[in-house]
Amino acid sequence: MTYWSRRLLGALAVLFAVLALNFALFRLMPGDPVTSLVDPRFSPEAKEALSRAYGLDRPLGEQFLLYLKQTVTFDFGLSFVSGRPVWQELRDRLPHTVALSGSALVLAGTMGTALGVAAARRRGGAVERVVLAAGALSFSFPSFFLQLLLLLAFAVLWPLFPLRGSVSVPAPQGAAFIADYLHHLALPVLSLALLGFGSWALYVRNLMVKILGSEPLFLARAKGLPEPVLLWRHAFRTALPPLLTLILLSLPGLLSGAVITETVFSLHGVGRFLLESIQGQDYPAAGGAFYLLALVTVTSNVLADLAYGLADPRIRVDRRKGQ
Amino acid sequence: MIAARELRLRYRTGSRQVTALDGVDVTFGEGMTTAVVGESGSGKSSLVTALLRLLPRGATLSGTITVDGRDITALSERELARSYRWTTVSLVLQGAMNAFTPVLTLGRQIAEVLEIHRGLSRQEALIRSGSLLEETGLPGAWTGRYPHELSGGQKQRAAVAMALACDPLYLLADEPTTALDVITQAEIVILLKSLTKRRGLGLILVTHDLALASAVADRLVVLQEGRVVDEGPTEEILASPGHPHTAALLGALRALEARP
Amino acid sequence: MSLLRRWSPWALLLLALAGLLGPILLGEAEKTVAPPFSRPLWLDRTAPPTVHLHLSPEVREKTLDWIWEPPAGLALKGTYRLPPGTSGKIVWDGPSGPVPLASLTGAGSLSLDGRDIAFRLRLGLSPFQSPLETLFADRGSYRLAYEGPEPEALSVELHLSGGRWGLLGTDQRGRDVFRLFLAGISVSLLIGLAATLLATLVGTSAGLLSGYLGGPVDSLVMRLADLLLALPLLPLLMVLAGLWGRGLWQLVLILGLFSWMGTARTVRSLTLSLREAPFVENLRALGAPTWYILGRHLLPEALPVLLATVTLGVPGAILAEAGLAFLGLSDPRLLSWGRMLHEAHGFGAFTAGAWWILLPPGLGIVFVCLAFLDLGRFLEEKADPRLRETLP
Repeated sequence: MTYWSRRLLGALAVLFAVLALNFALFRLMPGDPVTSLVDPRFSPEAKEALSRAYGLDRPLGEQFLLYLKQTVTFDFGLSFVSGRPVWQELRDRLPHTVALSGSALVLAGTMGTALGVAAARRRGGAVERVVLAAGALSFSFPSFFLQLLLLLAFAVLWPLFPLRGSVSVPAPQGAAFIADYLHHLALPVLSLALLGFGSWALYVRNLMVKILGSEPLFLARAKGLPEPVLLWRHAFRTALPPLLTLILLSLPGLLSGAVITETVFSLHGVGRFLLESIQGQDYPAAGGAFYLLALVTVTSNVLADLAYGLADPRIRVDRRKGQ
Repeated sequence: MIAARELRLRYRTGSRQVTALDGVDVTFGEGMTTAVVGESGSGKSSLVTALLRLLPRGATLSGTITVDGRDITALSERELARSYRWTTVSLVLQGAMNAFTPVLTLGRQIAEVLEIHRGLSRQEALIRSGSLLEETGLPGAWTGRYPHELSGGQKQRAAVAMALACDPLYLLADEPTTALDVITQAEIVILLKSLTKRRGLGLILVTHDLALASAVADRLVVLQEGRVVDEGPTEEILASPGHPHTAALLGALRALEARP
Repeated sequence: MSLLRRWSPWALLLLALAGLLGPILLGEAEKTVAPPFSRPLWLDRTAPPTVHLHLSPEVREKTLDWIWEPPAGLALKGTYRLPPGTSGKIVWDGPSGPVPLASLTGAGSLSLDGRDIAFRLRLGLSPFQSPLETLFADRGSYRLAYEGPEPEALSVELHLSGGRWGLLGTDQRGRDVFRLFLAGISVSLLIGLAATLLATLVGTSAGLLSGYLGGPVDSLVMRLADLLLALPLLPLLMVLAGLWGRGLWQLVLILGLFSWMGTARTVRSLTLSLREAPFVENLRALGAPTWYILGRHLLPEALPVLLATVTLGVPGAILAEAGLAFLGLSDPRLLSWGRMLHEAHGFGAFTAGAWWILLPPGLGIVFVCLAFLDLGRFLEEKADPRLRETLP
């Protein structure tokens, strides 16, 4: 089996497990499963009709198949709260969550990589001390605490940024809308990046220190190559595949961070939707939101895997003598 | 001629001071093969790093190294990179198992020294890399291959090709045959010897293998615990070792050869 | 011992002691003690503080130096029982002369408030005059006293509400932030330690079995670990907490069951390296059963590493608990640091600018996590350093 088919099969297995988990979580919980999937305020007739539509009167195996079919087609049912299809609610919110986590990842990744490389290059310097401290803090600083502090500092005491929401009410039109949206997004993204770059920088530093001390880099130095070529073409290029794995590893955490961030800053997004659904016992909505978040994670994992394979010739090129 | 005088190399590891080279005086002639022989820990590898001035963190070097009259201990890092490393002295590393950067093609890694030191365009450099590979017995089209696609012996050939790219005056070979099978070892040694002879290069062969050294080298330098204990033309040393350590090494060699 | 020279064990010990003794010495954290969002006492000394004066049969007189504006409110509450046929009174005495606040006869309870019209009338004021202006007409030394015969029982308290209270002020419900902070210590430590121990137990068993038995068990356990690592943890915990309950032990269970993967991997690699060791081979050849080899030989070998893993795992569990509590997915009766931040965020601490509610729980979490990280690094260095992955 090649690397690619192995990876794809693995992703499918994870996806299937997510589906099974989601099914089990919401159906095998204590109490009557009907109440967890059908709004308890409906009339008995309506309840029965919906139960039949979801196959809740059938055996569990059949229910699972039906559930698979519905989930794969994004038919999560109707939200108890809004009465709209859950998928529509999610579709409205997904771009916001992606914009938040995506820009935070890019910012944290860029900052972390630059600082990590700088720290590895000048061992014992000021940058290295900053990186080590930021790394330790990122493992011990609760994201919401930092965000609350930022909010207190830059939205209340010194109101540079809005206190809550994804856009102003009422929302401006045209180009002003985009500016307004970015204005609301700035502090959340900044806070996520601030929290994330420490662990990135620490990882990049450790990786680069290891690579800079390796035989290939000794030889590259003996070749009289200029510092930037050594650092970027040889060392950083070698570090790239594991760095892509780091993206892979950091994605689940990133989405977890998005849930908290959306709550702290009252942003429109899938994460806060999940929280509100759980708090409002809107089970179809909670199930849909959880599935979507898991799906985004799994999909990004697959993409990161593909990128890893492309970046590492030992995997990309397995002609002639692959293992 | 490379002449090292009073070379002293110390490492700090934690609170411990380790003296790797303890006043080494040694010369390596142009166009001839000199073998530096010693056990592991004798300071061979330290001598290699000192000759290229590629010291690890926490190491201090004293003494002088003059290469054809130029004192390289006085050169700045930038001058070393620009006009000494690879253009005057190049290097073939142990086994070359891990010596190539794994994510770059061989062509890229050979061509880059030509681009940087010789000012060739990327295209010219790549073509020249192909002919260098051919010179060492590899197909010229292998410039597009990655290191992991080659066997140990093939990688070592490519490493020799890379070492010759900028026509250096001296070639440092640090245990070039370790981790290779016996036949490939012989091939690599013959390749090194013939190429350096043809180009009139000084070959400095650093090895623990006295049999190999005495078969190839014009001169022998015997290192023990960071000092040169014996030095001279190969035949002379073999005939009458000037130091008990050399005699001991030779004794071990004879005992091996005497075995059926 | 070099452990005693680190700051973290002492810090944790001190914190645990404070968490244990604080509630005993200072009393119930849930109680309302002062007006909402009172500032800490040491801040803004020009504003009147909240003061409680308590009278009992032993202490029948309390004095008070009042150098501020009159307080915002006043209340006199309590119970008493005097000898039959006698009467006494509660007197407020100050620079402008004594004022009787209440007269007591027989047994009964008192509940007077400065806003009551009856109270104002009894002081000889019109219904629209504030009694506080009268009672605190001048700055100086005041005295609250019971006057009368030896009481059989007396427990009367005068509350003067001001804008400042205690070491760290009060929250939106007028609870003492310092007491809440102390109460949060035990919740954080308890959940962090219990969840990590559970995770370590699960992870160690999984890792030992997986590494020792190999084959299908190994691939099953490792795939399961990969799967759980690939999921966004917080949303999963949120769903579980939302569906299965939010109490202390439910949280421990949820956190423990979904964070064993790292330990399992570490223990597995350790077991793999030990499985082929000569002494294990000998034991096998001697016919020792698997559980004996695992329990008596491999587990003790893994113990130092495990100790470090547990310690390094605690911050993760504490942060996860705090996250869930911050999102409001914990039992509201569970006074944890995350809960404090949740309430600070949800109930207007921002608009009140009440940073003294925000900082203590947040810094508490950071401090505990840093302490465990420091301790964990130390233990890790002590344990065999080669066996651990170098990933941060």
